[in-house]
Parts: sequence; C-alpha cells; structure tokens
Amino acid sequence: MEKLYYTPREVAHALAISDDAVLDLIHRGDLPALRISPRIIRIPIAAFELWRAGFVPRRRRVSIHAADHGAEIGVGERLPEEAPALRR
Amino acid sequence: MITASTDELHAYLADLIETVERYGATVLPPNDAYEVYLGRDGTDLVVDLATRLPTGPRSRPVDLVLRERWRPIETGRMALAEYGYELRDHQLDYRRALHRHDVEHFVRSFDVAVHEHCEATMGHETCAHYAGEPVAGAIDGFFRLYREWLAGARPDCSALRCLG
Repeated sequence: MEKLYYTPREVAHALAISDDAVLDLIHRGDLPALRISPRIIRIPIAAFELWRAGFVPRRRRVSIHAADHGAEIGVGERLPEEAPALRR
Repeated sequence: MITASTDELHAYLADLIETVERYGATVLPPNDAYEVYLGRDGTDLVVDLATRLPTGPRSRPVDLVLRERWRPIETGRMALAEYGYELRDHQLDYRRALHRHDVEHFVRSFDVAVHEHCEATMGHETCAHYAGEPVAGAIDGFFRLYREWLAGARPDCSALRCLG
C-alpha cells in the first residue's frame, strides 16, 4: 500500500523542526494539511513535497464561455420511483 | 442557500483551482490552461473541473471531479442549485459521490435535498442513495473526498444510512 500522508511528527523530523513549529505552519495556512478529527492531522505527501519545493499555483484568469455541455450532474442515475419527466 | 455574484464566482473558480493544485491534484483539460471558464448554459453558470489526485507512477488513476450548477436568483446573484462531487479511485476500485440534483424529487421521496453514493467496489451498488450532509461548495466537496482518498482504503458504505 502506497503511503499517502505524513503525520505532523514525521514532517517535523523531515524539516528538523519541532512538532509545535509544524502545527504553527499548519494553523497559519502555510503548510497544506487536513484535519481528520479533533486530534488527528495529516499532511498529504504530494502536497508536502510541492510545498517544500516552493510550488505556488498560478492564479488562473476566469471568463465565461458557452458550456460545451451542461454540468451533467446525476445523469444516468437511477432515481427513486423513477419519474422520467423530472429528468433534464 | 449558497449565493454568489458573477464576480465572486470568477474568484471562486480561481480559488478552487489554486486549492486543488496546492494539494497536489492535477487539473485536467480544458481547465489546465492559464485561462479557464465558467460555462454558460442558458441563464445558468456551470463549474466543471476534472482533477486527478497524486498517485505513484505504477498506480491506476484516482479521479476527482467537481461539477456545479449556479442559477440566477436575483439580478447579479446566483445560487448553488446543483452539485456533483465525484471520487473514482481506480486503484482501489471504489466510488464516492456527494450529490444535490433533482431536489424536488428527493424531497418528495426521502425528505432530503442532498444524497451520497458509495460503491465499495466500483459499479456495485448495495444502496442507490445514501443520506448525506450538505456540502458548502466545491472546495468543501474537494476536501471531503480528498480526505476519503487519503484514508487509503475502500469506504465502509455500511456506516452510511441508506435512503433507498
């Protein structure tokens, strides 16, 4: 099984800083992490490696364009008591 | 009800892409370019963002797709009318999805506006629709599904409440 995340302690070890310093980076929103429960935080390895390499996502320019197709949400899904007239 | 102005939706899509990329997801075409689009479908605006989660070179892909339909409610503002956030893990062969669509139908049938899907083996449903908590937009949907993927195991669908 491929390992997908580090614990804050593993990151602290990798960066040679304290556990508290890692938590501070997370709480400041600097280091990407996910809170799994009130006491469990995980740092995705892929996100950590990008962060360590200094990766900053490029801010995209957004415009409005005719949709190639509508957002197909739930298409093909079997609805309870199927009522075809309700489907788009 | 989640609402936004058109300008806010522009920033929302840019924020969403920054977030998923920060967490190592790859944005797939056509939104992998510098210029990205909100789709216009009649008077609705749609978000349709396909991403691939970071896996090893020998792993099968893990796709996380975020789709939304925003509908005008008053001049200059839109409401999040429908969403479909989908995780398909082809490595572990499971599917999770968080849905809001056909709301009148689901309210009439189950008295809920939103539902979820859970296939511990992709393509094999033991229940067509599960109860779910409303999702507060695509970033929230991304994190909920990313968290499931990060667990590194097939979901326990039996822990969810089957609606029918």
